Amino acid sequence: MAVASVTQAGIVGRHHEEPDQLYVETRELRVQGFLLFMVSDLVLFSSFIFAYLYLRNTGQGWPPPGAPKLDLALASINSVILFGSGATMHFALENWKHRNFTKFANWIIATIILGAMFLSGQIVEYAKISATWGGSGIFGAGFFTLTGMHGFHVFCGIIYLTVLLLQALQGKYTFQKYTGLTLGTLYWHFVDVIWVVLFSIFYLY
Amino acid sequence: MHLDRGFWTATAVIVLLGIVAIFWWIYAPIQSIMPEAVDRARQIDLLYRFLAASGTALLVAVIGYILYFVFRFRKRPTHSPDDIGLQIHDNHKLEFWWTLIPAMYIVVLAAISVNLFFQIEPVNAQGNTLVIEALGHQWYYTFRYPGINGEVKEMHLPLGQPITLHVSSYDVIHSFWVPEMRLKADMVPGLINTLVFTPTRPGKYELLCTEFCGTLHGDMRSGTPNDPAYIYIDPPGKYKAWYDATQRANAHMSNAIAVASAGAVSLTGGDAAAGKSLFQTKCSACHALGPFTQKIVGPGLKGVLHDPAHPNLVNGDKATPDDVAKILQNGFNGPMGTMPNQTANGLTDKDIANLVAFLNSLK
Amino acid sequence: MAVAAVHSGGIADHIHPEPESFLRKYVFSIDHKIIGIQYIVTCGIFMMLAGALAELIRVQLMRANGGFMTPDTYNAVFTMHGSTMVWFVIIPLLTGGFGNLIFPVQIGARDVAFPWLNMVSYWIFPVAGLMLYSSFLMGAPVAGWTEYPPMSLQGGAGTSMWCAAVFLMGIGSTLTGINFLVTILKMRAPGMTFTRMPLFVWGQFVTAPLLMIATTALGAALAALFVQREFGVPFFDPTKGGSPLLWQHMFWFYSHPAVYIMILPAFGMISEIFPTFARKPIFGYKMIAFSSCAIAILGFMVWAHHMFTSGMAPTLELPFMVLTMLIAIPTGVKIFSWTTTLFGGILEFTTPMLYSIGFLILFTIGGVTGVFLAAVPFDLHAHGTYFIVAHFHYVIAGGSLMGALAALYFWYPKMTGRMMNESWGKWSFWLYMIGMNGTFLPMHWLGLWGMPRRYAVYDPQFQTWNQIESWFSFVMTASILLTIFNAIWSIKYGKKSGANPWRARTLEWQIPSPMPYYNFKHVPSVFAAPYDFAEPLPYRGLEEELTDSPPPVPAAH
Repeated sequence: MAVASVTQAGIVGRHHEEPDQLYVETRELRVQGFLLFMVSDLVLFSSFIFAYLYLRNTGQGWPPPGAPKLDLALASINSVILFGSGATMHFALENWKHRNFTKFANWIIATIILGAMFLSGQIVEYAKISATWGGSGIFGAGFFTLTGMHGFHVFCGIIYLTVLLLQALQGKYTFQKYTGLTLGTLYWHFVDVIWVVLFSIFYLY
Repeated sequence: MHLDRGFWTATAVIVLLGIVAIFWWIYAPIQSIMPEAVDRARQIDLLYRFLAASGTALLVAVIGYILYFVFRFRKRPTHSPDDIGLQIHDNHKLEFWWTLIPAMYIVVLAAISVNLFFQIEPVNAQGNTLVIEALGHQWYYTFRYPGINGEVKEMHLPLGQPITLHVSSYDVIHSFWVPEMRLKADMVPGLINTLVFTPTRPGKYELLCTEFCGTLHGDMRSGTPNDPAYIYIDPPGKYKAWYDATQRANAHMSNAIAVASAGAVSLTGGDAAAGKSLFQTKCSACHALGPFTQKIVGPGLKGVLHDPAHPNLVNGDKATPDDVAKILQNGFNGPMGTMPNQTANGLTDKDIANLVAFLNSLK
Repeated sequence: MAVAAVHSGGIADHIHPEPESFLRKYVFSIDHKIIGIQYIVTCGIFMMLAGALAELIRVQLMRANGGFMTPDTYNAVFTMHGSTMVWFVIIPLLTGGFGNLIFPVQIGARDVAFPWLNMVSYWIFPVAGLMLYSSFLMGAPVAGWTEYPPMSLQGGAGTSMWCAAVFLMGIGSTLTGINFLVTILKMRAPGMTFTRMPLFVWGQFVTAPLLMIATTALGAALAALFVQREFGVPFFDPTKGGSPLLWQHMFWFYSHPAVYIMILPAFGMISEIFPTFARKPIFGYKMIAFSSCAIAILGFMVWAHHMFTSGMAPTLELPFMVLTMLIAIPTGVKIFSWTTTLFGGILEFTTPMLYSIGFLILFTIGGVTGVFLAAVPFDLHAHGTYFIVAHFHYVIAGGSLMGALAALYFWYPKMTGRMMNESWGKWSFWLYMIGMNGTFLPMHWLGLWGMPRRYAVYDPQFQTWNQIESWFSFVMTASILLTIFNAIWSIKYGKKSGANPWRARTLEWQIPSPMPYYNFKHVPSVFAAPYDFAEPLPYRGLEEELTDSPPPVPAAH
């Protein structure tokens, strides 16, 4: 009953309210600030990617002794799951824009689940090569740092999306004013893009 | 633009002072303060004179005009508070020239520097070059010479002999700098950096560490209790005397390879493919399959048997397959540590044969 | 209302209510002006700490065989001196301090884009500073502010604390960069196109992307060093496949843009001061703005000129050499433009003007030695010696710090409503010029003659010059102390300034001193750049700012 009334309030709250000028201008600031934040986050990843590629190309033969054998099949499945979650997030936002709250909720829940599945897959991968954690040398330095940072970003993203869903249920967003949802989608796509690079340099190169 | 007589007088003074500055740098007695001890130093000093002359001339001009304008355009008591200066926003012609002329100067400077750069970089060492190693420790230097066992604490260089100096470090980053040589190379553990030069002036020189290396970094210079040794550039006779004496004195020291081994390993039937996979598992942690300078812990081994440029530091002669087999058998005391012997590495005689066959197959 | 609102309903009309409590007003303020003052005061404190460390260095160096401090102490002292000065004085002072204080008003905004984030960025600063100094208690970092491994892998926990402290400070820097960039892009007053922006704003505008992008790269390097030290992850250890040179690349990829973070705001500061005290426009506005962009971009491409002796592949060194030399061209353009700004002016030698002229002379000297060092064959001799120490002190102490001091004397009235004592100001200027040059000029030849840097003890033949340098350093310290005393004394006893004591033309001078919490009663519109002294002020809508009319009403949201 309580859930239904919250949802009802949320739906009622999403009436056709024109965003005022203050909202429009603030939204522009928030979107731009968030984009810049992602640029600086990208620099963080790029620095470690540079470090990994540098260590890989100067010095000893590759792979170094102690480096684990990675499971390309598992990682490929995991990648499909993550990219799928990018698609589901896209559909979630589209449905919100088309004023379909139920479909939005379904797609964002799907995203969260797929994200959690990706993380589980990563944990399985880590567990499989747990014997090499200590002795994998510079392979570990690159692999665990980068995939660890990425996994942390996915984890934060899952929390972020869950919070957005709850806020949406409580009527915080209207069909005209939904900057938070836009930012969440941008962040989730960012996490996807980083994974494309990481997957390439660890599993395909 | 109102350029009055005062401006042109100031300009004339500036030009005059600039010319004085340029001549000062052309004739400055650099060598009497800091002699040039190697062939490259002369060219580096010429570059410095060019830089100093043009830099000082520029400073004379900029500071000269600043001081002149400050004097000439200062607010006088006759000025009223609402007076304003010349409302000039820009002058495209002036801005064009003061962009173009410095750009041309930079092009000239770059050309001179690139040219000199290629002359001093160790691209291809001469055939008759003497290859020496210098090693940094916390907080002193040691040196290794072909034909002399162990390491020596004092560096002697034969006058007029082209030198190829490889530098590295036992522990942290140090640096090799002799001011009179105008050449410097960081001593980075895991890397071999190289300086190529020919000593041209006999004498005794100070060797200084210029990369922070710990508590006694300030004492890692010639003449201190922990690092008393200097660098000597000796005329050929004196150098030979030092070399022979040191060789005799160090004869008892071992590089491990000099020790007679208990029966040499047979190298017939060595399987290069098996050797390759063995190399990956047992050797690649410390040795790269690259040139000598691609050092991880020990040197790169691609050229150990075939590359004429691979240094002959092991016992003064070109390494043979038997030499390599002996090292694998007996181990080796190197600057970064000890290469374990056969037992410690868990290598059978067949393994050694395979490894040698593999290294022999690298061309 | 006498004047029709220029902007209705948007951010320009969105006024925060005046903060009530002491905490909200002065401690946890989201007002960019208060935050700017907080930064300036905190930087003043760290400046005194770093200056004291510098004097400890100079006392030690008065004797060639040392004895004042143990070598380990000396090593910690210069490490903390450099780390403090770069990250806890110059960068925050020029960006978070004067940047926050002035540029939002200069663009006609009421605050920055993210005021709450601004407050967080500030509060990170003293916390990170405390963390940094706590490292003295746990085995201080000793390998210089550059902390090269493997040296930085040795020693006590203080180096790990250093990593954490600087990393935290970097977060504040990055957030400031994002904040400033969005503010300048999106919140300029109506009519303020980029070519009508004051050059101080241009200085902050080109610095903000550097803060945002470069600092994160430093964060990565620090994180890598930290996990290597604490968890053995072998990024930089050559015996485990890592590379000491990797640290140098990662560190300098940040730290070279960092030096442009330290100088570009100062370029902006003196670009405001020269026109004001010459009563004429800045010469070559467009070229100064454009060359600042060029310097910011080129600044990302030259980092390895700090590594010419380290063993990089020779073919890699060449592009870095040439690109470094190229930076001289936009820099030279600016120097010539500022010099020409003096031509035909009516020059009034107030303290800010004196410091700006000093900047112009000393920064040029530092810039010239920079071009020397770009030439690899010369750098092979000079690297790691006192020549380098001389070069960077001329550009930082003669450039950045002089610019900041000029800014302090110039904008003090906007912070406090009072003037700093002018005669003490002139004394501090001359003491600074004499002290600074006496300390750092001889370092050029000491370096070339064979005195390496970071030496706690050195060859006896250099002792006389070192003693001379130390005596002059005391003069320089006296100057700084006099400035700081002046700044504190004048809060209460300084002459009241009024809104525009210097008759300057940018927007911050058209509102009261000290600046009110709302900045503007009405956001003005702008129809020209502010440098035309023959014309009236290029703003519309400022009629009520200096009257007794009531402050604007907070937004009804």
